[in-house]
Amino acid sequence: MSDIFGNDPMLDMFIFETAQLIEQLEQSIIEIERVNCYTEDSINEIFRIMHTIKSSSAMMHYENISLIAHTIEDLFYFLREENPENIDCLKLTDIVLEGADFIKHETDKIVEGRKSDGDGSELINSIRDYLSELKLNNPQADDEEGKRPSKNEDAGNILEDCSNQISSMDFPNQNYKAVVYFEEGCQMENVRAFLVINNLKEIAENISYVPEDIIDNDDSIEIIKNNGFLISFKSDRSYKEIHEFLSHNVVFLKELELYEIKLGGYRQLVADNQDSKEPQFFSTRQSIISVNVHKLDKLMDLVGELVISEAMVLKNPDLNNLVLNNFQKSARQLQKITGELQDAVMSIRMVPLSATFQRMNRIVRDMSKKLEKEVRLELIGEETEVDKNIIDHISDPLMHLIRNSIDHGIEKSEERKAKNKPEFGTITLEAKNTGGDVLIIVKDDGRGLNKESILSKARKNGLVGKTERELTDKEIYSLILMAGFSTKEEVTEYSGRGVGMDVVNKNIDAIGGTVSIDSIEGEGTEITLKIPLTLAIIDSMTIKTGESLFSVPITSIRESFKARNEDIIIDSEGNEMIMIRGQCYAAVRLYELYKINTEVKNITDGIMLMVENNGDALCIFADEIIGEQEVVIKALPGYIRNLKKVRGLSGCTLLGDGSISLILDVGDLTASLKEGRMKI
Amino acid sequence: MTDLIAESLETSEDTQKGKFLTFLLGNEAYAIEIKFVIEMIGMQPITKVPELPEYVRGIINLRGKIVPVMDVRLRFKKEFKEYNDRTCIIVVDVDDILLGLIVDNISEVISIPDEEIVPPPEINKCAENKYIKGIGKVGSNVKLILDCKKLMNEKDIEAVTQERQL
Amino acid sequence: MKKVLIVDDAAFMRLTLKTILEKNGFEVAGEAENGAVAVKKYKEIKPDIVTMDITMPIMDGVQALKEIKTFDPDARIVMISAVGQKPFICEAVMSGAKSFIVKPFNEKHLVKVLSQVLGM
Repeated sequence: MSDIFGNDPMLDMFIFETAQLIEQLEQSIIEIERVNCYTEDSINEIFRIMHTIKSSSAMMHYENISLIAHTIEDLFYFLREENPENIDCLKLTDIVLEGADFIKHETDKIVEGRKSDGDGSELINSIRDYLSELKLNNPQADDEEGKRPSKNEDAGNILEDCSNQISSMDFPNQNYKAVVYFEEGCQMENVRAFLVINNLKEIAENISYVPEDIIDNDDSIEIIKNNGFLISFKSDRSYKEIHEFLSHNVVFLKELELYEIKLGGYRQLVADNQDSKEPQFFSTRQSIISVNVHKLDKLMDLVGELVISEAMVLKNPDLNNLVLNNFQKSARQLQKITGELQDAVMSIRMVPLSATFQRMNRIVRDMSKKLEKEVRLELIGEETEVDKNIIDHISDPLMHLIRNSIDHGIEKSEERKAKNKPEFGTITLEAKNTGGDVLIIVKDDGRGLNKESILSKARKNGLVGKTERELTDKEIYSLILMAGFSTKEEVTEYSGRGVGMDVVNKNIDAIGGTVSIDSIEGEGTEITLKIPLTLAIIDSMTIKTGESLFSVPITSIRESFKARNEDIIIDSEGNEMIMIRGQCYAAVRLYELYKINTEVKNITDGIMLMVENNGDALCIFADEIIGEQEVVIKALPGYIRNLKKVRGLSGCTLLGDGSISLILDVGDLTASLKEGRMKI
Repeated sequence: MTDLIAESLETSEDTQKGKFLTFLLGNEAYAIEIKFVIEMIGMQPITKVPELPEYVRGIINLRGKIVPVMDVRLRFKKEFKEYNDRTCIIVVDVDDILLGLIVDNISEVISIPDEEIVPPPEINKCAENKYIKGIGKVGSNVKLILDCKKLMNEKDIEAVTQERQL
Repeated sequence: MKKVLIVDDAAFMRLTLKTILEKNGFEVAGEAENGAVAVKKYKEIKPDIVTMDITMPIMDGVQALKEIKTFDPDARIVMISAVGQKPFICEAVMSGAKSFIVKPFNEKHLVKVLSQVLGM
């Protein structure tokens, strides 16, 4: 038989939900830390979360996860029931977070397809120790040990009443005796026995049974397992009826022995419940479903291709010079619908930043504790939505920025006091939408950046060009984004880790975003990530050189113009430059760069396109501009990617007429030229 | 369930086993295993991609899919031959990576049993020979069996030298 | 096909139950993530049987069972419990739960309990 727990949707759901629960847990912990106390609600919540994880992971056979969750559940059960005083919030929080980390770590392993083999026994022991300590310090609870936990008292009382009622009967006239054996592994045999008794009451009275203390004493489980469950009762039903009743109603019945004892009796009417249910059919659908991201990617691809095919049909050269009124009308309708479809698919992929932002709470908490700094995190605009792919790309950079802020930015309390700043450092994480882009701003009120030390460090690492002209403040700050700026000298536990700001820059760059830095020394630093709303479709300008087509993202174009011969300057090495409004820019002839045959070589015959990335601008010379259009970015085929990285290209796209255009990666182009990886 | 799939895979592999698509480069007859072949198309407009070795002619639009095309003649350091209406592109899929092979013309699909295939000689390892998996005997003729995987995956020296020249 | 209402606050457990049940020829007519929703859905759907988790936010499974039983004394409700929730199961049984099953359960057990309670 196939095991349904081996199948993917189940595993996906398990991982998804567990991750969600852990996040929820961390959020309540942050809240708890803020008010510095465990409220009844928060205890209940953590109890429930652990309870759920315990059960789910047990179903998935992740015993280690289940055990940790169970232990924490037990701890919170105690907290909930006994409400002990003077609990050490900090310690409790540490325990919970450590447990959460363990679970997270194990599920990460599962996600990566590895075995969840973490050993939580040490943690479990420390939690158990803590629980016994709590119990010891709250003798009230100790006294009541052995007694049923108070919350269940209601249930307990009813049960006691009931079992008394049943078992305290003197041996009255009983006419049946039954022995019930349960299937092995059905669990809680005593409660199952209780269920039998409860069912039996429908058709029998004067019931007594062995063992008697089925509810109060869990030892009865073993007795029932070994000897069966013995029941004597009186019923006016026939032997056959009773046999049928028991066989039907006892779940997990392995064996039933039923004996009739000859005795007189009377008839009892058992109300026969009419089936009063009316057949009604309601369709109840869940309003939210979870979908595999790959399916969304596929859908996105298809819509992209649909848009292209549409353009291929509507702009088909065969249609040129034809008067097609009806066709045009239908075509417009089609365009409208595909446009809406595209928007709808994009919106499906949009995810709010809140989960990513919330995660930062934990980092701030852990780090500020470790570094003994007082830091508050303020979140603004966390409801802002971005494409799912983008979320995956910004999580790490954000984490890094926050770490940097706490580690290098925010001062210790004493220092802050001395500077007349509030004792608490504040980091603000803000997201806002500005049309095509999302801005994510990480701001701190720490010590800010020191221009001089950045410059001297950059000089030392050879990052400032020979021509040390006047750099603007922003240009100076952006030096820290360059590879090779962050040196190993200052590796700290948090922000060090061998990655510097250049990794942040690279990650953001990879999704077509930019990083900019502003700072006032002594007052704080503000880092802004500008990120496109979506990755797959961009507005682009298509240009032509010889037979080749190139598309340039509109966002990186500053202007296009016709250059004059006298604007061109050639340096001693033969590099061309162009003078525009008193500024000098490198000029790149695409046909030279990529060795393309073209007739248009005279600078006045073609067109110049000024493109910019991260403040680096350059001018591209091409034959002509074809036009502006939305294009769906496709990666270059795998074979080519494996062969080599083509510099200055980020991918390709299909144009309306089915021809292929290569997408220029302005960032890579400027960087390649700057670092001399590429010669013009 | 998985058994079923495995079974169907087995059968399709079975029917494909021993089957080869043969094509010509000049006078030489080559063969590739049919299981790699997705389709065969006539010459298409090719978009050049800069900075690639000469034998990678560029990319084509295969019904919305972007597929790179390699001129097998150039790959084997043979003389370039102008494309004509007999020139064909064989699109192959090796481990989910697509590649179009430009060849002079396509001949036919034939069966070559395992016992009729001999390994290529060890000596004389020229560039061309590296990509020959075996030599199949069909009657009095021989077909050079291409090693598609090697053809696609080997990062060859040419690409690197080209890079240096740039 | 027998209509089932699945009540559990964990989406994973709901999916698990749903997958097992649908595979075994039940119709999952509805799902509820807490007791309050369960009571409401029960009234709408009138399922043949309910699988009821115990620990849930807003309204727990035992309370939901009681309310459903008030509305429909014939309601067939099977409790899904974790180890160590004996008092709750007992209370549920006293209040009319038809049977119970202990997490982690296996497919065979679940189907068996449900079929039996439905008299199939």
